[in-house]
Amino acid sequence: MQVSKFGNVLVMTAMLFLASCGENAEIRSYSAPNHYEGPVVTWELPKQWEENPVVSGMMAGSFHIKTETGPRGRIAVMPFRETVQTTSIINMFAQELGHSEYNQSSLQNLIQEKELGGRDFELIRLEDKDLSDQPPKNALLAIHRQESQTWLFPFIADRDLIDEQLSNFYDFLESTSLRSGKSQVRAISPSLPPSQSQTSPHEPTWEAPDHWERKPSTRMRIGNYTVSNATGESLDFSITSFPGKVGGILANVNRWLGQVDMDPTDEEGLNNFLSDRIIDEKPAKLVIAESEEQALYAAILFHNDRSWFLKLMGNLELARSEKENFLSLIDSFCLGDH
Amino acid sequence: MTHKKSRLSSLSERRKRFAWLVPLADLRITLTLLSFSMVLIFVATLEQVRVGIRGAQAEFFESIYGIWHYPEQFWGGEFLNPLPIPIPGGYLLGALLILNLIAAFITRFQWTGKKMGIQFIHLGIIMLLIGQLATQAMQEESRMQINKGESKNYLERFHGVELAFIDVTDPRAEQVVAFSQGLLEQGGMHYTENLPFKIRVLEFGKNCEFNALPPVRKPSGLTAKVNRGVINTNNLEIFPKPEDFSSEGMNFAYVVFELLDGAESMGTWGAISHPAGNHWWAQINPKMGDLAFQPIRKNGRLWGATLRPEREYLPYSIELLGIANEFYQGTDIPFNFESEILLKMDQNQSRRALVYMNTPLRHEGKTFYQYQMNKAADYTVFQVVRNPSWLIPYIACILVSIGLLWQFSFHLARFLSKNSATSKSTA
Repeated sequence: MQVSKFGNVLVMTAMLFLASCGENAEIRSYSAPNHYEGPVVTWELPKQWEENPVVSGMMAGSFHIKTETGPRGRIAVMPFRETVQTTSIINMFAQELGHSEYNQSSLQNLIQEKELGGRDFELIRLEDKDLSDQPPKNALLAIHRQESQTWLFPFIADRDLIDEQLSNFYDFLESTSLRSGKSQVRAISPSLPPSQSQTSPHEPTWEAPDHWERKPSTRMRIGNYTVSNATGESLDFSITSFPGKVGGILANVNRWLGQVDMDPTDEEGLNNFLSDRIIDEKPAKLVIAESEEQALYAAILFHNDRSWFLKLMGNLELARSEKENFLSLIDSFCLGDH
Repeated sequence: MTHKKSRLSSLSERRKRFAWLVPLADLRITLTLLSFSMVLIFVATLEQVRVGIRGAQAEFFESIYGIWHYPEQFWGGEFLNPLPIPIPGGYLLGALLILNLIAAFITRFQWTGKKMGIQFIHLGIIMLLIGQLATQAMQEESRMQINKGESKNYLERFHGVELAFIDVTDPRAEQVVAFSQGLLEQGGMHYTENLPFKIRVLEFGKNCEFNALPPVRKPSGLTAKVNRGVINTNNLEIFPKPEDFSSEGMNFAYVVFELLDGAESMGTWGAISHPAGNHWWAQINPKMGDLAFQPIRKNGRLWGATLRPEREYLPYSIELLGIANEFYQGTDIPFNFESEILLKMDQNQSRRALVYMNTPLRHEGKTFYQYQMNKAADYTVFQVVRNPSWLIPYIACILVSIGLLWQFSFHLARFLSKNSATSKSTA
């Protein structure tokens, strides 16, 4: 009896030993010093709102409103690394809605200040000048400044939907928690260059989509890419730089319009193709021109007596499918001079 | 009591009492097991070329049995190679040898002063075997990478990952909930009250290949279901790959998981672990940087999800003060790497130390060996070993030495006394 007990103990010990050699399946919970250096942005969504799964480079968050007819409207959280002038932000949207450019004084009447959750927000509401859509499209922009960072919350939808969701929008703004990080805000300018040739601290850097095929740079083209699809259509993308203003915006845009089989324009008509954009924290112009078969998307940046052109041109369908990638690239463009 | 003791010390009594152990104590079993051990070592050495040291160790030594294929290059290899030959593994041979030696100890050895040396020698060998098994089971090998001027208070395992959810909302401390590799391998639904969501593990693997697809193509296979996070925005496709056991092997573990708020799905994410630490993702491709921290917002808090090498936090930290490396003159062959560190303990206590080749830092049961160094990037990497049974081989060697000394001394004394008696009688 004693012998069998001893045997059992021996077998049990051996089994326990072998079992202990396996991997532990467990959940561990603990707290540790916080080393996270990025910005902390949190929010609570109203019940009717839903997150958009894909967030483009500029945004920290993107949402829509669930309705019976499907998702409508678009709300976003956009952090800017440094203080950005309200006029620059407003003009980004004003152009698209058919408004003429605002300056400091003309903007004063539009700004409404509101305190939400103990924080100050600037609210600006713009309505689309094109009244073909009924109710017309509106842009409600909320701007909050905190510790040298600017946070923009654009709410773009038709007028009625914005009116209906106004209290939800305020609740959302109130629920946000915004903490600037030690590292730069990723949404504005990704830090690292995409290729080995851009290693000098004074050379421009950008982030190109992986499927864009890089071609060798030339004396004229600092960045040189081809984008093609399975059916053989292709796009050409280039980054060029020249001293001075090389004829200015109108001359360059007209030259490009000719390349995509479009008629030249004049100063007044130029506004149909231009909108404001912030690139590398500097004011820039975005050119969007589409003919029946071809498209031209370009960004123009004048800085320190130099002109920078980032230009995507080619098949219309392909260009439209690559538009988001092009916008992400120009948002990632950094001159490398600071 | 004295009577019982004398009974137990008598060999015949012990053989009668532990009769079931007698067949196990057979010397032929010992010799057979030792022969198999030699075969095991030979086969594992050959296999090391194919699967690397770690692979051979896992396949043959840390197993009950291993399957070996006769090498094609050997004589008759073309016919014998397809045959799977089972080889008894280290765990089986080790356990049987321990059993055999213990049985011999109880039922074959005389517990007398005359034979005490033999008993010590065998006790030492038993301890060596037990020590090796204990080391296999308990030893942990980790790495600690520190940048110059920075402090680290955690280790990362060389092998084994965890899926961690980190709440960084509080600027002072982060709350971590980590799911071990064992749980990820099990798959299924997991829940803890420390997380505001449930997690369902859909796929897990120890190694994979991945590539970014153009936006027009949708990933198939493992990542087809992923609709949130970096894998989705980068349009990454993942293919499972067998684990690479070679010493230079880079294993990219992957996991696909769904988060649920009650019964409602919050989306499906994917994550890949970089074998050298997830901070490398941002350096390889800025778009992949979020694999170190995929943001998930819930109830006004920011969580980050990441699949990373399993971490162990320490109650102390190590600051890297400086590094130096020296090379043999005119070559790129290093002969010394050294790291000057400051060990910061509780109650503001600290001590400086120099860690270099063959001179590790030992602290609280862990040994920090100089492992890698990058002078250009100003960082050092320590290999950190915790082996609670590290003393056993030393004790075993002392026991064997005492046994040998005892046995030889006993025989020498007997020989000398016999010799002097013979000389006296001759005289």
